[in-house]
Amino acid sequence: MQQQEIHNFLERYFTANHCDLLENNQGYMTVQLTVELDKELMNRPFYWHYLEKTGGVPNPMKLTFITNKKQAPDHIKGEVIHFGSPRLHQIFQSTKNLAGFIRLYENNNFGLQTPLIPWIGLNMKISYQCDRKRDVYQSIGLQLINGRMVEDFHDKLLSLPMRSKIPDYAYTLSPLIKPRSGLNRIQSYLTNRIELEDHSWADEARMRWKKDLDLLHHFYEDEEEISESFETEKIALQEQYEPKVNISIVNGGLFYLTEKAL
Amino acid sequence: MTVQINFDSSWQDEMVERIEHDGPWGNWELFKLAIEIEKHTIIPEFEGLQAPVHLPELTPLPHQLEVAKQVVENMNGKAILADEVGLGKTIEAGLVLKEYMIRGLVRKVLILVPASLVSQWAMELNTKFHIPAVAQKKSYVWEQCDVVVSSIDTAKRAPHRDIINNLNYDLIIIDEAHKLKNNKTKNYEFVQNLKKRFCLLLTATPIQNRIEEIFNLVSLLKPGHLGSETAFFEKYKKDSRSVNDDQHLRELVNKVMIRNRRADTGIEWTKRHVETIAIEFSKEERALYDSILSLRDSEGGLSSSQFSLMTLQREACSSREAVFYTLKNMLQRQDNPSIAFQDIIGQLIKRVEAVTKNSKAEKALELIKQINDKVIIFTEYRATQLYLQWFLKQHGITSVPFRGGFKRGKKDWMRELFQKNVQVLIATEAGGEGINLQFCSYIINFDLPWNPMRLEQRIGRIHRLGQEKDVKIYNFATKDTVEEHVLKLLYEKIHLFEKVIGELDDILTKLEFGNIEDHLIDIFGKSSSEGEMKIKMENLTSMIQFAEEMKEGNTRAATGNP
Repeated sequence: MQQQEIHNFLERYFTANHCDLLENNQGYMTVQLTVELDKELMNRPFYWHYLEKTGGVPNPMKLTFITNKKQAPDHIKGEVIHFGSPRLHQIFQSTKNLAGFIRLYENNNFGLQTPLIPWIGLNMKISYQCDRKRDVYQSIGLQLINGRMVEDFHDKLLSLPMRSKIPDYAYTLSPLIKPRSGLNRIQSYLTNRIELEDHSWADEARMRWKKDLDLLHHFYEDEEEISESFETEKIALQEQYEPKVNISIVNGGLFYLTEKAL
Repeated sequence: MTVQINFDSSWQDEMVERIEHDGPWGNWELFKLAIEIEKHTIIPEFEGLQAPVHLPELTPLPHQLEVAKQVVENMNGKAILADEVGLGKTIEAGLVLKEYMIRGLVRKVLILVPASLVSQWAMELNTKFHIPAVAQKKSYVWEQCDVVVSSIDTAKRAPHRDIINNLNYDLIIIDEAHKLKNNKTKNYEFVQNLKKRFCLLLTATPIQNRIEEIFNLVSLLKPGHLGSETAFFEKYKKDSRSVNDDQHLRELVNKVMIRNRRADTGIEWTKRHVETIAIEFSKEERALYDSILSLRDSEGGLSSSQFSLMTLQREACSSREAVFYTLKNMLQRQDNPSIAFQDIIGQLIKRVEAVTKNSKAEKALELIKQINDKVIIFTEYRATQLYLQWFLKQHGITSVPFRGGFKRGKKDWMRELFQKNVQVLIATEAGGEGINLQFCSYIINFDLPWNPMRLEQRIGRIHRLGQEKDVKIYNFATKDTVEEHVLKLLYEKIHLFEKVIGELDDILTKLEFGNIEDHLIDIFGKSSSEGEMKIKMENLTSMIQFAEEMKEGNTRAATGNP
């Protein structure tokens, strides 16, 4: 992410959260937080607790972000945001928290009564982890009437007009497959597929692990009792090398789509 | 073998619950943003760094990228970065730091560097890496800022020490870490007690071949990885094998240390031109030097201390001020100086007073005028430094002093004055470390250090990445003095100036012959005749040459092996 992309991202994040951008110029921006976002980002529960108890007038904070030091005027004071900065990580995290679950309807200005078919969609990160790490982004949707599965689900949704309220002249079909079992189907589909993959990366990691372990043993071979530091080191090696695949869910939800949408 | 697969099921439970309660549901724009973020923060391959992609204005050199990659991929963020002087260790550390921050693995960072480099580190991290590093000024900074740069001397003092000890750091970077090789020091203890996850130790002086130094540094990174201290020393000291002979130890050291040589980097370096300038004493200077020399054979309090005599001789080659200062100190240090002792000192002071000019200073003045560009003068003695500043001023040449003892702000300021307003910077030895002056390309070694490593440190201030011109080094040596001998031995016979630090280091450690300075004091201080001195010098030279050949032989043997 380049500095300009970070700037655009912040703009979109705060706008989507209904915050006013008091200033928005090359290299910096000042945002008036809403009460909700102040609670989300500023970590001052005592203030809000106190306010609610005393019934005072809430005064959410203003924040200034500098996205490019060279472009921002010298007198502007604020937080410098870079890719990797804790504040940006926090906002990333908050974006995920605030948009973990969704329900959307396809909106096609229907002239006639149109049925919308329920889908459950999951956006996931698959992390192959040992002493190194590799991630794969995966988006899968499952139709809750006939069980059809579609990959790159999210990208396909992007080309459809979506809204959060059910459109006029549209009605939804009830799922034949329960959302819970739909999710289970996606999970077992994915797990089976990963199990069949080539896992030489894991074998290699185990080999590196063993080598380090042998080396460690060498330095302790003369000691009669098993010392605490030996155990600590052994656990440290396990944490570092042990290969595993972690599937985490970024977000997902229910999507009501027309029959021909996908 | 199969791999364990974990599926995060907490999301599913909550989804089902939200369906039952009809929400609450997120916003479509944020939903899309969350996925865009995910795609940005994904690490697509097991190998390779993310940081360079996000730093379009920074062009790291190939060896710097390689180091950062090694540290992240193979060393689990615990490493000694031991590149030669001037290869950009700051950039390497910055890359590692940025990489971990992007991966969300590092947030709280402590960077301990020499006082003179604090501002520079903070500035480089800010401008080159967009990392908001803060130079520590107030004690609340430790807790409130995520990335703090400080000197170790500040950090270990109260009240800072207690605050720092209570914090959990994700990454600690320590520059000039060779100062931590002794585990009995306060600094070592301080660093050992820091709570850290990842740790980078930066040093241009690689670990010597001494087993305990290796044990101490590795123990900072991976406590317990070498077994307990007692068991370790029992095993390795008894048969006093050197590190290189022990495969396990070597393997381990390679696991935690990366070292690039200039020659390996494939970068075109500007050249070094070294010129020795012979200085002729004036009659009075010669008289002073000779009278010190003559004390060696005389009875009395002074001849018993070879060290002081040697110091005085060397000082006489530098300036009368340096000699005077030492003499005064010698007198003051004794509670009841004997009459004889007072006499000797008194006579020497008379000799000092008789000296009317400084031949070296005059030569330096001539050179500086001729160079007509920025020049750094290095001297071992503070008295000489003061004198030179005064002397140059008399001749209309502007200069600033630089010493290790200066506070950080003053160092920064002096450096800036030198860069912008002033022609000459006069530095003492301690000032040589930890300041980057690549905008200057001339060095005058007003007097020479006897430790070749220190000399390399001096030259490394200007002959580093970013130097665009060839570097010119002038060595002053007074004829028929100990200085000339040392120069001949160290710097001409074994061509130390042309060597880069790595080779030299290899050679010296291969011999395990201890401190070169001790050898020199022995040769020049304890030899009873000119002849003995010559023989001892020949011995030392051939020892060094032998080590050199051994090293070459080794490389050949190594390449010859399948």
